[in-house]
Amino acid sequence: MHILLNDQPLQLSTNCSVSELLQQQQLVSEGLAIAINNTVISKRCWPEHKLQSNDNVQLFQIVTGG
Amino acid sequence: MLQIAEKTFDSRLLLGSGKFATSQLMQQAVTASNCQLITLAIKRLELNKPQDDLLAPLRKMDIQLLPNTSGAKTAQEAIFAAELAREALQTNWLKLEIHPDPRYLMPDPIETLLAAEQLVKLGFIVLPYCSADPVLCKRLEQAGCAAVMPLGAAIGSNQGLQTRAMLEIIIEQAQVPVIIDAGLGAPSHAAAAMELGAAAVLVNTAIASSSDPVAMAAAFADAVRAGRRAYLAGLVSTEQQAVGSSPLTDFLAAR
Repeated sequence: MHILLNDQPLQLSTNCSVSELLQQQQLVSEGLAIAINNTVISKRCWPEHKLQSNDNVQLFQIVTGG
Repeated sequence: MLQIAEKTFDSRLLLGSGKFATSQLMQQAVTASNCQLITLAIKRLELNKPQDDLLAPLRKMDIQLLPNTSGAKTAQEAIFAAELAREALQTNWLKLEIHPDPRYLMPDPIETLLAAEQLVKLGFIVLPYCSADPVLCKRLEQAGCAAVMPLGAAIGSNQGLQTRAMLEIIIEQAQVPVIIDAGLGAPSHAAAAMELGAAAVLVNTAIASSSDPVAMAAAFADAVRAGRRAYLAGLVSTEQQAVGSSPLTDFLAAR
């Protein structure tokens, strides 16, 4: 299936969870947040939350700022 | 001790983490300033760029992380940013800031109040960056904000307490901590804010953009302590005419 990851098209196997996607992208979860179709997904739901075809996935990270 | 919501802090200097040349320098400035609260921002991840290890050293320092909603132009965007920040850092503490105008970065009072009301209901500890408007600060307090953060001058302008007269009214009326945010360009500005009775100050540019940020962080810490002590000691009133400090005897005059 196809998803959009920060505006980039990405091919994923079906039943891929948010946690699996992050592993695949080699991202550490500390300081990371994720919204799917503009809804923020709670960190504790990442292992179970399955991505759906055509999901618009946006990843955010903590950076420095005043 | 500074108390915000249920937490107490020994330090009354809050640090912004932006604009430091390196994250090591930022960590050293944190140590030099003894600050216990530091602001962070959230932005979209750039894929294929390594994640920098910003948080691990801060976690070790046992410092309260205060994510902001910088970049939000509306209440709706700020609430989205707040929810992202809460997940990213696993904290419900939030510096709410909504400034749609890129030239002066003035906070939008209407969107800020709307967002604050909703974020408090969503369980956030809300510290709003706001204009130095006594009525607005009171409304934010009534909405349940844990503190108010009125500006001294425009963000990054280093102009000091341009809003001094309004800050005095805000401090006089406030039932929550008043943290002077933005525009403090020199330790003397921070000391002046504390002498007015501010609960704390937040400084970023004046420290981070100094040629020696670590020494400047220490200088601000000293100024904040001095200003607070002076406020507690009780500042004397100003007089129009001279009031002598030595006895005005006439021993020089011929008897």
